[in-house]
Amino acid sequence: MRRRVPDFVRKILFVEILKGLALTFRTMLKPPVTRQYPRERRDPKPGFRGQHAFVRNPETNREKCVACQKCATVCPSRCISIRYETDEHGVRHLTKYEIDALRCIFCGYCESVCPVCAIVLTETYEYASYSREGFVYDRERLLHNWDRFAAQLKRPAYFNMFWRPAGADVKRLAVVRRLQQPVPVRQTPDAGIAGTREPRAGQGQAPTQGDR
Amino acid sequence: MELLLTIGKSVLFVAVVFAVTLLHVAYATYFERKVIGRMQGRIGPVEVGFRGLLQPFADMVKSLFKEDIIPNEADRPLFFLAPVIVVASVMTSLAVIPFFNNGSIANLNVGVLFIFAMASLAVYGIIVAGWSSNSKYAFLGGVRSAAQVISYEIAMGISLAGVFLMAGSLNLSDIVLAQREQPMGMFAVVQVVGFVVFVISAFAETNRTPFDLPEAETELVAGYLTEYSGFRYALFFLAEYISMYIMAALVALCYLGGWALPGFLTRALPFLELVPGIVWFLLKVYAFMFFYFWVRATLPRYRFDQLMAIGWKILIPVAVLNMVITAGVKRWLM
Repeated sequence: MRRRVPDFVRKILFVEILKGLALTFRTMLKPPVTRQYPRERRDPKPGFRGQHAFVRNPETNREKCVACQKCATVCPSRCISIRYETDEHGVRHLTKYEIDALRCIFCGYCESVCPVCAIVLTETYEYASYSREGFVYDRERLLHNWDRFAAQLKRPAYFNMFWRPAGADVKRLAVVRRLQQPVPVRQTPDAGIAGTREPRAGQGQAPTQGDR
Repeated sequence: MELLLTIGKSVLFVAVVFAVTLLHVAYATYFERKVIGRMQGRIGPVEVGFRGLLQPFADMVKSLFKEDIIPNEADRPLFFLAPVIVVASVMTSLAVIPFFNNGSIANLNVGVLFIFAMASLAVYGIIVAGWSSNSKYAFLGGVRSAAQVISYEIAMGISLAGVFLMAGSLNLSDIVLAQREQPMGMFAVVQVVGFVVFVISAFAETNRTPFDLPEAETELVAGYLTEYSGFRYALFFLAEYISMYIMAALVALCYLGGWALPGFLTRALPFLELVPGIVWFLLKVYAFMFFYFWVRATLPRYRFDQLMAIGWKILIPVAVLNMVITAGVKRWLM
């Protein structure tokens, strides 16, 4: 066994301080880790849970939501409120869908519970607003969010990893989810890019208390 | 006529030294931020000018245009006077530093003592700043500074006594010339104990990490600077950096051989004589400045009682021992 240098010798020779100095000197020679944010944007990793959106169904050009209320039920922060009407065939029609993004905790339960893969947390992470109302997303706003996200997506199709959670038994998933293919993304040039100004408050419906 | 010419020359030299020092101080802040940034894995200033090179000027303009706030209950004359005392006394020390051979504004025979005296005078400015601000943080910062500088000045002076004994002079030029035939051409080899004590004291004397207790921002907001803003704040800042340069210059002159090169080197490579002495001087000064920043990026701050313990229980006895041994060797062995 190597004999340890006596403690007072280490103190006199500033061994610990010299070790620290060596560490900082080595760090200085390494490239810095700083990312110059507005100029260097980071691509989100798959599974990143960002801004809420309704997937735009390429066939109907509308949202796919069937007003089953599962997302509103599972939501731990109860930030989703849904209203619907039932027609004579017993089919539900969505009349109101609102997410309060300021209350959302981005757990992703809504997108993993949705039987038709309608609601999704996109990879958009730049969606600041000047007002609180700017964070209350109604149907139109959620579709707009999708368009905005789709326009800047670099891949030709989008598949959210929460639609088929890792380790889930595929046979037990809802039929639509089982058959869900990556959604082809149409590049819509007028949808804007990340960082552009959002439609201001008041354009969607004003949030009302106690709609559940 | 002769007299006028001499006066004109001196004034010009003073102006040049003043301007060059200010420029060096401006870029010392840039150098410091870059070095510390890189040591912490960051990049430091990059926005203003090419690679952030105009950052010091942006800072200067900013501090000039800041609102000048004076606390209501402050002692106004002293509050105005404090930064002037600090800057004036620190700037005065620049006069006796030989930047190259015969290159000092005033070649005093007691140059080092003069620098010490001026450094102590600067502490008055800091105490006055703390006192006149009428703020407990500023006051505590000022008191700490006084205690700290008094303690470390002793160790510093005694550690330099070894150098004086070896050089046989207090004149900075003579000290530099006396080092030429030393091993490596510097006293730092023979006087290594004194050198280490001096370096540690220099950190304490200029209130730099790990001894930056007078402005310990985690506990005292900004210490004696707390109530100052705008241009007066900039003056304190300026004084701090100039005193760092002066300490670096003292280390370069008294321990690292100043502007001169070791005798064996100039004999082996005679063409090195052609390089102006100020190049070697600045090289040594900047090496020490880098060391200042390097230590700041590495070490945390000492507690106040630790600071006092290091000063009185370790540095002063070691410095005294060093002085006595040096004197003994000089008396009986040489």
